[in-house]
Amino acid sequence: MTTALLRLAAVSHSYGARRAVDEVNVELPVGARHAIIGPNGAGKSTLLHLVAGTLRPTAGQIHYAGADISRWSAPRRARAGIARTWQHPALAHPLTAVQNVLLAVPGQRLSALRPSRSAVLAAEAALAQVGLAEHADRLAGQLAYGDQRRLEIAVTLAAQPRLLLLDEPSAGLAAGEVTQLAELIRALSADITVLLVDHNLDFVAAVADTVTVLHHGQHVATGAPAATREHPEVRRVYLGTDLPTGPAAGSVPERPAATGAGTPVLRVRHLRAGYAGASMLTGISLDVRAGRVTAVVGRNGAGKSTLLNALAGLHPTEPGTEVLLHGQPLTGWDARRRARAGLGIVPQRRRLFAGLTVGEHLNLPRPRSSRPGAVDTRQVLDLLPALAQRRQHRPHQLSGGEQQMLALARALLADPDVLLLDEPSEGLAPAIVGQLATIVTGLATAGTAVLLVEQNLALACQIAHDIAVLDRARIIRHVATADIREYPNELHDLLAVPTAAAPASG
Amino acid sequence: MSATPASVTTGASPRRARRLPRWSLPTLGFLGLAAAVALPWLVNGYVIALAATALVMAVLAMSAQLLVGWAGLSPLGQAGYLVVGAYMAARVATLTDLGPVQVLAATAAGAVAAAVTGSLAVRARGIPFLMVTFGLGELVHAAANQWAPGGSEGTHTAPVAALPGLPAMVRPGWVYLYVLACVLVIGAAVAVLVRTRFALLLRAVAAHEPRVQAAGHHTGRLLLAAYTIAGGIAGAAGALAIAVTRYVSPADAAMGVSALALAAALIGSGSMLGAGAGAVLLVAARDWVSGLLGGHGPTLLGLCFLLLAYLPRLRQASRTLRLPRRRT
Repeated sequence: MTTALLRLAAVSHSYGARRAVDEVNVELPVGARHAIIGPNGAGKSTLLHLVAGTLRPTAGQIHYAGADISRWSAPRRARAGIARTWQHPALAHPLTAVQNVLLAVPGQRLSALRPSRSAVLAAEAALAQVGLAEHADRLAGQLAYGDQRRLEIAVTLAAQPRLLLLDEPSAGLAAGEVTQLAELIRALSADITVLLVDHNLDFVAAVADTVTVLHHGQHVATGAPAATREHPEVRRVYLGTDLPTGPAAGSVPERPAATGAGTPVLRVRHLRAGYAGASMLTGISLDVRAGRVTAVVGRNGAGKSTLLNALAGLHPTEPGTEVLLHGQPLTGWDARRRARAGLGIVPQRRRLFAGLTVGEHLNLPRPRSSRPGAVDTRQVLDLLPALAQRRQHRPHQLSGGEQQMLALARALLADPDVLLLDEPSEGLAPAIVGQLATIVTGLATAGTAVLLVEQNLALACQIAHDIAVLDRARIIRHVATADIREYPNELHDLLAVPTAAAPASG
Repeated sequence: MSATPASVTTGASPRRARRLPRWSLPTLGFLGLAAAVALPWLVNGYVIALAATALVMAVLAMSAQLLVGWAGLSPLGQAGYLVVGAYMAARVATLTDLGPVQVLAATAAGAVAAAVTGSLAVRARGIPFLMVTFGLGELVHAAANQWAPGGSEGTHTAPVAALPGLPAMVRPGWVYLYVLACVLVIGAAVAVLVRTRFALLLRAVAAHEPRVQAAGHHTGRLLLAAYTIAGGIAGAAGALAIAVTRYVSPADAAMGVSALALAAALIGSGSMLGAGAGAVLLVAARDWVSGLLGGHGPTLLGLCFLLLAYLPRLRQASRTLRLPRRRT
């Protein structure tokens, strides 16, 4: 026990009825480089929050340097040597880079009119360590996204931590920056212990000596990165084969009965989009056809949600992008106009209105009058019977599955021609995912064009007619579903264990 | 001075393209100060009394600005601490007519009142903070009605003396100069305060509170300290208020006074000098121009606010045209 710097003993955390972290045990010796991986919703970030003190465990103990810190506040843990980063860089944007670092340098008096010489030197050393020395006097909010990530790491290093918690440090970084980041973490002094969460398994393999795999909050496996990759349970979790087969794989009709099936409703050409100068998507071209389901699969941070948000007008695209709905270019249209034209989006994490009941949600969308026989509330409720008894409930009283159904119903009431689904299976139990698959297949059969974005490959294979694989800002493969099923291992490599040899050029 | 701390404290922003020349700030400051000191010989007694009131509001606006511009919290109850300070100064005035002693006692009373009530306020952020501070201000108002000497009628005080040995001041010109001197001292103290590491931490709390916690700072205590100091400044404004009017009543804790201080701080967009100037402007619009316009002061005030909020070009200019020396 004395050799371990951090020991989690059967730590659990529940959000209401859902156990985000379920009796997880982790033990880190001094100087460890440990990573926690797992699919979306596995409880990785929650685990970091529990160690950092921004969340308290509902059961179990956290031992740090020999003391039970489970009840300590976040500032107290920080003073004890636990430093952390957030999934999105947590910086004071109106302050300069060096001021941000100075916030964390210990041993300064509150009444000091200017930072002491030693504090400034420590801050400059931390900035130099991450390669930001020349940006010291720029405002943090004006730095590029990758620089903000590095600045946040400088802030944590300036605190002279004993335990460093990094929440998805490689997210949103370009390939070269990820390599630099891995070198930076590798070069940290051996008395700093690192616990990180990341989706980029290449990065994890480069940085971590040991890996813990979580799934639905539960511990799946712990070991060296290479060994965990081969672990059958881990492969099952990442491939998602624990889903029921539902409608048999081959049951999707190749030629739906609805008229007009197969004509491209939404055409996307050369779509480019990014965040603060960092390119997330380049040269995306796609056709979404009436009566067919097109799936875009890819790892976290591949740009899937950005793609859907860009199509819906919720994220700006760069010049050169062409998006045509029924042959009509949508350039310069805002989200409201696109929705009226027939683009419906079911956003990731549902984005329901917290204060409104199910009934009020269903009364919100204005049906388009252009198409005869527009859907009304009753038809949608027939399609989604789970909601019918829940009309007086508010979103937080609904289960995850019911929330997803409500988000879907809200989009359907606007009678969209193209339905954009962003990770509909996220955080849902397998049986609910099966129901969802049936509903989406039914919608496509009725003539709606569906563009589905998923990490859950099994669901994508089950309902999609064709699948596009998104990796490193591009579509590297776009094939019919039947063909992709012949190469499950190849897809597994693409989605979960990408290698440097992956055809980035496409 | 070594170069490093200076480079630490100046943020170079490409957006701030148009800079005023380096001599502009000292020159403007000197001209403003000269005009302020010469005022009693230039205008009539009524305007002098108004100017003294404006200076008192400038101090209250600085108190609000510490919370708005630094800690990122909008208070709507600062007048409550002003009244606490004013009653304390009125109490002390029965023992001594020395103004500075009254100001110190009022500062202490305002700070103690803010420290006691602040633990309620700093748990809240955003609109709830506004509501809690409004509620606290109204409670002070009600308590003053109930228990303060004179009840809702208020209480009168004797004229104050600036220094031991000097006679008590009755002419508005002398009172004005005394208040001006006190405001300059308070302003200097505040100017030092906002250059400390404490003020930097407050700005960081406003920008990203979890990051400051993760750096090991107890943000609740930082905010409580800021709230206490702001209460002290408001208390000092209370002592100056009774030096000007020789009268305090519960009505001084009215929400309108707090709102004026908050509005002045918002007009001052992140600077103490701006908050003071905003307060002078608002008092002038409310009391002085109102007289010229036949009682349409509130109309003018309302239009000014709309203009400020909706003239984007003006807002842009306020961002790009900054004085050469920037607060840390």
